[in-house]
Amino acid sequence: MSYEGVLEQSGLGLQELVKAGEEIIGYIYPHAPLELILAHGLTPSLMRAIPGVSSGFEESLQTFACSYIRNLYNQRTNDQLPQITGLLFPSNTCDSLQNLTDIWKIRFPDDRIYRLTYPVTRYADDDSTRIYLTKELEILSKMIESTLNRPFMMDNYERAVSIIREFRHDAQFLYSARVVDPEVLSYTELSRLVRSFLTAPLVSVASEIHRVSSLVKEKMKSKGLLNIINSIMSGFQEKDFSKVKPFKRSPGPRILAVGGMVEPQAIATIINGINGVSDSIIVSDLLSFGFKSVFAPPLDKNGEPFEEMAKSILAAPGEPTQEGLQYRMRSLKDLVKALHIDGLLICEQSFCDPDQFEAPSIEKVASEAGIRTVRIPIDPELSDRARIEVKIQTFLESAGYT
Amino acid sequence: MTEKKKEEKVYRQLESNKLLQQIMFQYMLEGHQASEENRLAWVTSGFPVEIPVAMGVGVSYPEQYGAVVGSQKVGPEVCGYAEEIGYSQELCSYARASIGSVEKPDQSPMDGLPTPQALLAGNNICGTVLRWYDAVSEQTGAPVFLFDTPPITDGQPDHHKEYVRNGLDRLVDFLGTTFNTTLTDERMHEVADLSSKALELWNKSLTACKTSPTPLNCADRFLAMAPVVSMRGTELIIDFYETLLDEVEMRVKEGLGAIRDEKIRLLWDNIPPWHSIFRFFNGLAKRGVAFPADTYTHAWSGKLKIEGEGDDLFDSVVSIYSNVYLNKGLEAKIDKMCELIDDYNLDGFVMFSVRSCKRYSLGQLVSKEIVSERTGVPGVVIEGDMVDSRVYNEAQIQTRVDALLEMFM
Repeated sequence: MSYEGVLEQSGLGLQELVKAGEEIIGYIYPHAPLELILAHGLTPSLMRAIPGVSSGFEESLQTFACSYIRNLYNQRTNDQLPQITGLLFPSNTCDSLQNLTDIWKIRFPDDRIYRLTYPVTRYADDDSTRIYLTKELEILSKMIESTLNRPFMMDNYERAVSIIREFRHDAQFLYSARVVDPEVLSYTELSRLVRSFLTAPLVSVASEIHRVSSLVKEKMKSKGLLNIINSIMSGFQEKDFSKVKPFKRSPGPRILAVGGMVEPQAIATIINGINGVSDSIIVSDLLSFGFKSVFAPPLDKNGEPFEEMAKSILAAPGEPTQEGLQYRMRSLKDLVKALHIDGLLICEQSFCDPDQFEAPSIEKVASEAGIRTVRIPIDPELSDRARIEVKIQTFLESAGYT
Repeated sequence: MTEKKKEEKVYRQLESNKLLQQIMFQYMLEGHQASEENRLAWVTSGFPVEIPVAMGVGVSYPEQYGAVVGSQKVGPEVCGYAEEIGYSQELCSYARASIGSVEKPDQSPMDGLPTPQALLAGNNICGTVLRWYDAVSEQTGAPVFLFDTPPITDGQPDHHKEYVRNGLDRLVDFLGTTFNTTLTDERMHEVADLSSKALELWNKSLTACKTSPTPLNCADRFLAMAPVVSMRGTELIIDFYETLLDEVEMRVKEGLGAIRDEKIRLLWDNIPPWHSIFRFFNGLAKRGVAFPADTYTHAWSGKLKIEGEGDDLFDSVVSIYSNVYLNKGLEAKIDKMCELIDDYNLDGFVMFSVRSCKRYSLGQLVSKEIVSERTGVPGVVIEGDMVDSRVYNEAQIQTRVDALLEMFM
């Protein structure tokens, strides 16, 4: 299925939910408290940047606003956003999203806007970040309750914790299994499954992922690879790859896609569009809407809900708001070595501070590890798709991967 | 230059600029000395510098260094050194100038800033500083301390204050460990007194610009703010701000304007184009356009010690440094602009949309409309960059400003 087809399908799924009377809270930043929204009887849905949207930002945003927020804003001005009850913006994560929220509130005063402010602290030895975020989550919860008359229901919360735990466990397993055997499940399919869940975290979607995960598990078990996969999963979870069990590298190039708020499916589509190349070359990604969402730790159902949600969000891997550059790069260095990575696709959105500041450090790490890199300037419109495909193809050829 | 030629200029140079040059030279020397003694920190402009100063830590400001790079018109070259090692031209030019100068100090103005032993970043001005300082940390090996002040919109709730306060406690620990130093109440009070005094003097000079003709133009203020940004809390700058205020008050008393024939009074929004600062403002001065106020130099106004208020300086630091208006959202910025237009009796405003500075600039298109609607004065948005002159189109800017000025003719 094409990228556009996948987008259309997930959009239709959301429309059906709305028709069935579900109220949707759209969110933009990957680390939204899904359990909190579900606990209020609402459905959280990740708003995605999509190709083919007419322009509409010019009266409100300059061209140096990042391509991601321009796309979201274009969708709003062209009435192309899904039918949502409210929209949750992040605060204190990056300047573009910070200011976009203010602009949105002024331009669309009838939209119901919520804001969650995240702390940005490096390795604080006290509980201040957890306490702060816990309080912010409580405030958000009260705000949702007061504006939508939807109280936080404990049974909803418990169901949400279970379903998200199950999703994460299964998706983490699939991510880890693909590292050992990228052919066992296409990157496109894994991305689609994760995306489906982030678009609508329903039991039916989680069940589909569980079914796929079980099938993959059976296959891996028959090959005697389960122990290795579990060791990789633990490595991802604990951000420590020293205990990853040795494994035989898969044939063909082993590429890791790195970057921030880039759609994994867009990467998969680009790769599959290259003549003679399949997405099995992508053994994993470290993208916000892929790996970083999947590997956020699940919640302890017995803990205090808001505190548990805060702990999970703060422990999500690879986020520059919580982990210093040095830490992330050290981790990347260990990862590429332990997982037999041959090359990195460094995805950068234009005018994206987090992506563009990190890219040179990633290149340095790759160089020290003796692996190749290619920087991919990408925007949600995939406006430069042909050139990107050529660039990746050239990269693969020059590195002797094809 | 002869006295006669000086007199013919459309703007009046400040006598106190001589003292300013001496102070900034001294500041540079102190930075080098601190670095040699392994007690230098690089600091962002919105950082509570009173704390490192009170703990005997020397400070240097990469943002000010960026201004130097810009004003020496070598922005493209120095930013280019950062681009050569992979930093995108789309990133902040202060950051690129700083990273570039660390990469090639011998090819940068003043051989770059002195080497830091720590990097102190406060995100109340923008989120970019964190990534920028992380990059410099990778280059220099100096550790980063982040002072997080999450943005606030409707007042500062207690949990926010407690969180920021915890950050201050961690800062004291960090500086104590990194520089083997301690903080005493007595020294903190001394520094806070000096900081408050400098800010009070500075604010008096700014307020004097309400008179017509204005005693200070935009470029005057952008130069004169340097010490209060970088040396708050030191004795050295008090003398300068007293001298400046004397000169400003003398101008007001004698009816002497910063420009000779003030006809139009405008508000400036954002950082100036350092590479063209005199050309731009003096060019407009020739046409009788003065800028008695701007949103940027008014940002350093929060005094740590206010008579009659509590004695807990850390509480004061928490409040002042969280309530920087860039940390309070677009509405606060719009209010500030309207207030300045009203208080300083301004005819219009110029908003410099700086590609480097998303926190300051994104939202200007919206705020322009609202400020005009609320105040009834026209404004214009011009786009460019403060350091990187490659993205500064002078002709286009001129056309836009001309269109604004035509409204006053």
